[in-house]
Amino acid sequence: MLVLVAAHLFAALVLPAASRRHTRVAFAVAALLPTAALCWALAHTAPALAGRPPEESVVWSAPLSLEFAFRLDALALTMTLLVSGVGALVLLYSGRYFEPGGGDAARSAPLLLAFAGVMLGLVWSDDLLAIYVFWELTTICSFLLVGQSGVSRSSRRASLQALLVTALGGLVMLLGFIVLGEAGGTYRVSELAQQPPTGAPAAVATGLILVGVFTKSAQLPFHNWLPAAMVAPTPISTYLHAASMVKAGVFLLARLAPVLGEVGFLPATTAVFGIATMLVGGWRALREYDLKLLLAYGTVSQLGFLTVLAGAATPLGALSVAAMLLAHGLFKATLFLVVGTVDHQTGSRDLRELSGVAGRLPLVTTVAVLAALSMAGLPPTVGFVAKEAAFETFLGGEGGFLVGIGLVLGSVLTVAYSARLLWGGFAGKPGVPTSTASAAPVGLWLPAAVTACGGLVLGIAYPVIDVLAAGYAEQTFGHPAEYHLALWHGFTPPLWFSVLTLLGGLTLFLLNDRVLGLRELLPARLPDAQRGYERVMGGLERLAVGVTGRVQVGSLPTYLAIILLTVLLVPGMVMAFRDTPVEQLRGWDKVLQVPLALVILIAAAGVVRATRRMTAVLLVGVIGYGIGGMFVVGGGPDLALAQFLVETLTLVAFVLVLRRLPARFTETASSPGVQLPKVLLSVAGGVFVAFSALVFSSARDTPSVVSQEYLRRAEEEASATNVVNAIIVDFRAFDTVGEISVLAVAATGVASLVLTARSARRRRRRPADRTSTPAASAGSVTGGSDPEVAE
Amino acid sequence: MSVLVAVPVLLPLGAAGLSMAFGRFADIQRWLGLLVLGVIVVDAAVLLHVADVHGPVVLHLGGWRAPVGIALVADRLAALLLLVSVIVMFSVLLYSIGQRITDYGRGTASTTFHPIYLVLCAGVSLAYLTGDLFNLFVAFEIMLASSYVLITRRTTANRVRAGMTYTIVSLSSSVLFLTLIGLVYAATGTVNLADLAERTDQLPPGPATALALLMVIVFGVKSAMVPLHFWLPDSYPNAPAPITAIFAALLTKVGIYAMIRTQILVFEREPSWPLMLMFALATMLVGALGALAQNDLNRLLSFLLVSHIGFMLFGLGVYDVAGLTGVILYIVHHITVQATLFLVSGLVTRYTGTVALSRMGGLAGISPLVAVLFAVPALSLAGVPPFSGFVAKLALLRSGIELGTSWGYAVTAGAVLTSLLTLYAVARVWTRVFWGKRREPEGDPDHSDELVVGTGDTSQGMVYATGVLVGATVLVAVLAGPLSAVSERAAIDLLSGQAYRSAVLGGGSGG
Amino acid sequence: MTEHRPGSWDPASTEPWFRSDAPAERWLLPGYSRDTRERTILLELLVRVAFPTVFVFSIYLLFAGHYRAGGGFSGGLVAGQAFVLRYLAGGRVDDSSPFSIRPPVLIGVGLTIAVLTGFVPVLFGAAVLGSGAVTLTVPVLGKVKLVSSLLLDVGVYLLLVGVVLELLRTLGSGIEADMAAGEGRRR
Repeated sequence: MLVLVAAHLFAALVLPAASRRHTRVAFAVAALLPTAALCWALAHTAPALAGRPPEESVVWSAPLSLEFAFRLDALALTMTLLVSGVGALVLLYSGRYFEPGGGDAARSAPLLLAFAGVMLGLVWSDDLLAIYVFWELTTICSFLLVGQSGVSRSSRRASLQALLVTALGGLVMLLGFIVLGEAGGTYRVSELAQQPPTGAPAAVATGLILVGVFTKSAQLPFHNWLPAAMVAPTPISTYLHAASMVKAGVFLLARLAPVLGEVGFLPATTAVFGIATMLVGGWRALREYDLKLLLAYGTVSQLGFLTVLAGAATPLGALSVAAMLLAHGLFKATLFLVVGTVDHQTGSRDLRELSGVAGRLPLVTTVAVLAALSMAGLPPTVGFVAKEAAFETFLGGEGGFLVGIGLVLGSVLTVAYSARLLWGGFAGKPGVPTSTASAAPVGLWLPAAVTACGGLVLGIAYPVIDVLAAGYAEQTFGHPAEYHLALWHGFTPPLWFSVLTLLGGLTLFLLNDRVLGLRELLPARLPDAQRGYERVMGGLERLAVGVTGRVQVGSLPTYLAIILLTVLLVPGMVMAFRDTPVEQLRGWDKVLQVPLALVILIAAAGVVRATRRMTAVLLVGVIGYGIGGMFVVGGGPDLALAQFLVETLTLVAFVLVLRRLPARFTETASSPGVQLPKVLLSVAGGVFVAFSALVFSSARDTPSVVSQEYLRRAEEEASATNVVNAIIVDFRAFDTVGEISVLAVAATGVASLVLTARSARRRRRRPADRTSTPAASAGSVTGGSDPEVAE
Repeated sequence: MSVLVAVPVLLPLGAAGLSMAFGRFADIQRWLGLLVLGVIVVDAAVLLHVADVHGPVVLHLGGWRAPVGIALVADRLAALLLLVSVIVMFSVLLYSIGQRITDYGRGTASTTFHPIYLVLCAGVSLAYLTGDLFNLFVAFEIMLASSYVLITRRTTANRVRAGMTYTIVSLSSSVLFLTLIGLVYAATGTVNLADLAERTDQLPPGPATALALLMVIVFGVKSAMVPLHFWLPDSYPNAPAPITAIFAALLTKVGIYAMIRTQILVFEREPSWPLMLMFALATMLVGALGALAQNDLNRLLSFLLVSHIGFMLFGLGVYDVAGLTGVILYIVHHITVQATLFLVSGLVTRYTGTVALSRMGGLAGISPLVAVLFAVPALSLAGVPPFSGFVAKLALLRSGIELGTSWGYAVTAGAVLTSLLTLYAVARVWTRVFWGKRREPEGDPDHSDELVVGTGDTSQGMVYATGVLVGATVLVAVLAGPLSAVSERAAIDLLSGQAYRSAVLGGGSGG
Repeated sequence: MTEHRPGSWDPASTEPWFRSDAPAERWLLPGYSRDTRERTILLELLVRVAFPTVFVFSIYLLFAGHYRAGGGFSGGLVAGQAFVLRYLAGGRVDDSSPFSIRPPVLIGVGLTIAVLTGFVPVLFGAAVLGSGAVTLTVPVLGKVKLVSSLLLDVGVYLLLVGVVLELLRTLGSGIEADMAAGEGRRR
């Protein structure tokens, strides 16, 4: 099974080489892979339905419980029919739809194939984390497919919106998966189903997972990315947004039904959101003039329907959701493909412009009518069979009557917009000139015909679909549902409700204009999901700019001040408030330390107050010599020697550089309001260091073991009487090697800086002469020295 | 055998010396650099294998046993990070040679680039391998001094200012570090890390905690933890692309590594460290928000760097095996991915002539290769499966949820939000740079500096080097199984500290 | 004044023979002048005497480090100070330096020596950077004890001399040349 999925992806990698030049062939070849997957799945129908599903598992990372575990059970089989079956048909259709040799075709072929593979992996996965992996991959594929080349602003925005909304859901869902996995001790759905976790973790996980489901399956309030994504070419909309990707959420609910079945609030939540979505989607569909947008809102509405069914948590609900998944996939795919064909042949999909298409494209019209019948839920299509089951779930006395009423209302809207679609796309309208349309090529109507006929055939031959759906219901709930899918159950309440739905829907369609007029009376600023999304994004931008603008000031003194402040606050507070012992303070160890300390302090104060640079440098030198003096008094001649020498060298370097700088400091003095905090902070920093020195040196009263060892070993083992030198070149020679490399680097850096400045100045002086190498120009100006080249 | 531990440090130093001596011969410098880095890659791989199978490899320098002498320790963590870092350094060197950043015009040799680069490598290796606090300071000095030179090399006047910010802030943190070492030695009488672990128990709790927090701050400055991160977005973007790549990939991670090593080895703590979790959350969010506010591609990547440092701090704050496994995985992932992204940014600037996102467009049509080279590490950074970012992020999220405290949940939620914001930032770069209408490349605004932009062509070296690194990121994802196993073992070792201490102080291999 | 190259007197040239072995350096020669305002005769004479002395003192410090105050650092820095004195007195190092070696090369050699002292002990079976002492009997001086860490000191010494020379070259003569060029005068 992994092989099949991987084959999709691998072929997708290889395809770009061919898809630009041989478009149709490339798509046809690409269609082979989903077909192969479908055949493989069908070949394993019997074991899948009988409770012995084929399984396969490849471990990716054991410590993280990441493994690709595949399992073909009834639900997976149902989805495979959609994913691979419709996928193959869409690929064949695309071969005809896209301009050969165009960029769209070259890009879409591999991406569609990759998407098919990823979707296949998703429906076959038995491991929660693997499901997430494929889930996010579908998000990425969708982003790239919707955006195409990203030339138009609307496609960029739409793809970004889809990406962000579904990625948000995906990430939240991941958290839910982790909670579930940790609580249940395993990430395998099949194992979790046997021992579902309960209590708070399960509830939290369900809530998080529901966010993911709602975003992917375009439920309120996340539903707006779906209509926005209609900027994509029609085959892509068909596959992603009708047949497979948007179903992923509902599929996940169905897959996790045995695991989350115990959670109390699940049916209620899904019902509320689902019905709201169904109603809003249907309502919007009645308003649209673009046939594709009409279908998009219709999809939103139907997804609401599916969500309600998937969350129902009863065997009957499971039966109906499986049937409805299949039915919806078939009729929606057909309708999208048909709209694409009409668009391709007539050049328009606006129903105000189309007229009399039925006469021009009779085959296409027939196909469309078949699919619309299924959508509206009329016998003998599979749509009717599924809808009966759905109504039975809620209206047949098992509970949730209100939900059932909601479903009926939604179905009324569905019938209405189905009629609107047929009328808008194909009927002749008075006052509108008949659209011109050339006959559709086979490649454009055949795939749609296949799916439409499939819908009809499955409806008539309903035992087939019954076996499939019942298999799923049984595997989920452990016992079969008493109900069976059929075209005729007798004069049951669902039947009456179906009739009611049909009548109501047709009425609504006929009165549509007046209803639209009613709409004008509604308050203008109703909550609108799209506006909400835009406001959130705008707020995010403002937040980002605001926070960064305040925080990233660009001023070095501020940065240093914050570092110093953090040092004072965090460790300083700890030391101030814990019980820190300090040993007896002495004034001084040797009397000479006092005048030296005074000299250092005065020099330090002088440096801060100096106005001339030379003064400041010399005072820094005084500080250095003072410290050297402290070393002498304290008894460290080597240290003092090194200190004096280094200080001298530093002074020399300073003086050499000062020749180039102005004599006085040129920065303007900052205002007292700024200076005071700086002074306080610096003083506090100094006090902190001094205090810490006191505290820490009083923490130990025995000599250090290390020093004793040095003293002991210096003579015999290092052959040295100067212990300091022994430490530098023997005991800790490695530090010495490191530090001299630092010196080397520093010298090189200085050279680099100085010489860069020189060559930059030289280059500015001769802007036209850029071909001359620096060596030549160096020779002419400075006469003989060659540091530029050596640099 | 234990001389292998000294090779990654001493060999580049020696080679740097040779490189300086042969400053006139560019070819010798290049081959020397590549050869030495290749040798170190092999050495690090061997060290990792030996450390994984037999335990930490210890070298007592000069034959003096710790704590009298300095000990170099290669345990699993150090060897793994060293291996990844040197591979990245090798690729970036290839890229730099390809970009001709090491020369200026034909026929001139550059004394400064190759030796300094080798010294930087030595510094990074030493930081990973050392077992001595003062030696760690020396390692940081080596690293930072080289970085000061590299960031101010051949820059124009206004870019030197950015380098100055970096230099002064780093020098201040070095001063703090040195103060810290003085305090540590005053209080405990030793600077050897393994020895310190035993002596900090004898300190009263106030000073001990203060020491720990001071160490956090010192290393926090180096690893750009909020609120100590300000220098990074101001200074990193101004250097040439490979330099920024190396800094972003290595220097901050060395800071994180030092923080992990010192905190866990030296101080005792229970799982869940609220202060660190707080810092982690702040870092993640401030960095991500900062990235969204940028129009400059390199600044955006710098802010994302800061943000993802927060992830590593998150794992450290969780402070148990799962959290530390996540941190180690994340460091390995992030080193490769961040370096790759900066290298790709260099490629992008070559094509478009600008770093401003608003002036770029349609690059996917001009060069699909660059688009793919960007997409892979970008998706990995955003944590999209099946790339390495997802694996590492998953480990961290799991550890956060397993922790069970309210801070743990809060930071986990923050991590998820940051992931989303990162995805948004990356997607924005994609839509602005690679999608959209094609724009003509702008000419090079400043010929005097090292940034050669807008030429529309990139040399083979640059593209191959970037490809190698992209392949490395994919490899990290593919090898997630063995890598996470090694990381888990390293984390367990780290938390117990027993193997390390006994190897250094006890009967570990000496000469 | 024209350039002189000792020992290369061409019989056909118009130069008188007694100039053929004139000094090669221009440092402190009469007629060779920096800006006369900057010249300090006393300093020049003293440095002329002091330079070799200080140099020898630095070598002493190098060797004496292990037993008394001193060592590679101090020795190298003192040697560097000698060159600083020379520069302060006499002008640009590159014109007047007796070394024809470029400072970066010197730095590189010093660093290489230091690193080699790390690796060589491995060949003898000791640890990296291990040290050993060997006692030699030298004819005039008697028993001389040489410690291997002296080599490290030598490397440090060379490196420090190189560093100081580099600083003088860039900060000293480099900046001076800049200023001269900026003021439009040719050196």
